[in-house]
Amino acid sequence: MKIYDLEVNSLIERIKEKNHKTVLIQLADGLKPQSKEIVDKVRQETNAEVIIWFGSSFGACDTPFGLPQLGIDLVAHFGHNIFKKDLEGW
Amino acid sequence: MDFLFINAKFDGKVELTKEALNYCKKYKILALYSSIQFSTQLDKILKQLEKEKITVITSQPARTNGKYQILGCDLSYENLKLEKKPDAFLYIGDGIFHPRALVLAQKDESEFKEVITFDPISKQLSSLGLKNVKKILKSYKGSLLKFLHSENVGVLITLKPGQQQFNPSKLLKEKYPNKTFYYFVDNNIDFSKAEDFPFIESWINTACPRLGFDDAAHISLPVLNLTDALNLDKLLEKKSFLTE
Repeated sequence: MKIYDLEVNSLIERIKEKNHKTVLIQLADGLKPQSKEIVDKVRQETNAEVIIWFGSSFGACDTPFGLPQLGIDLVAHFGHNIFKKDLEGW
Repeated sequence: MDFLFINAKFDGKVELTKEALNYCKKYKILALYSSIQFSTQLDKILKQLEKEKITVITSQPARTNGKYQILGCDLSYENLKLEKKPDAFLYIGDGIFHPRALVLAQKDESEFKEVITFDPISKQLSSLGLKNVKKILKSYKGSLLKFLHSENVGVLITLKPGQQQFNPSKLLKEKYPNKTFYYFVDNNIDFSKAEDFPFIESWINTACPRLGFDDAAHISLPVLNLTDALNLDKLLEKKSFLTE
């Protein structure tokens, strides 16, 4: 049962608008089973390659590093909002 | 690199059941919080509470992007930025991770306010209290005291850009000139790896502060969070649920 709106169309729009080539999708744990649906739809609608983040996703603070090495030019993070990091600590 | 955040809003009704509303009537002032999946859809609940003459207060906690939203790392009352004290907290959402932050945020207080949780998916009402974090607080207090007597201290730094706090951790050397600090770096902080460094007597977690509470409570090693290490004297002086 789908109970959350994944707004895949917003993602597709962003990919087309910015001409992104390689996209990483990172999902909160409860949303991970729906990653197939996202990848299939994005592949159908765009030419972008889509990669799924396998590891933890505890929040928007938990974004990975080293992504440009894979040519990733967009990270779509599902289930969390912008995180305002305090540079002086927690 | 471009970032897109998709809230994954709950695609259903967000309203209190009659039972939940009746329970809330015990209180005159409720502090309302929610996870991002529900935090922009609280209009109906606000009207329900208003009709029962319950005053609703809220805030935009330190690291969030909007009012009503709570994060799992909002572990201090100060971070909540609430301008007045409620009679209780009301959390709307599923799971226990976020509302447990509201319980832990009260660890430094001398008076505890109940955390009522309502899940719009299951329609379940529940209540969280200090008993739900008793083991965590006991273990954490032990870590604070152990740190005071430790000479060799390990500082855990994550490479995750959102959680990396290397610069603030350098203040430890100034604050505790008689201790020796050893810095460790990894992507994911996994406390089981700490056993490979037996010369470390206490560990300081600089990544997500929930690691220092929820995860560290299940291991025998003393682990405390950076902010608490830097403010330890004030923390131990204050009468609170953590220090009692």
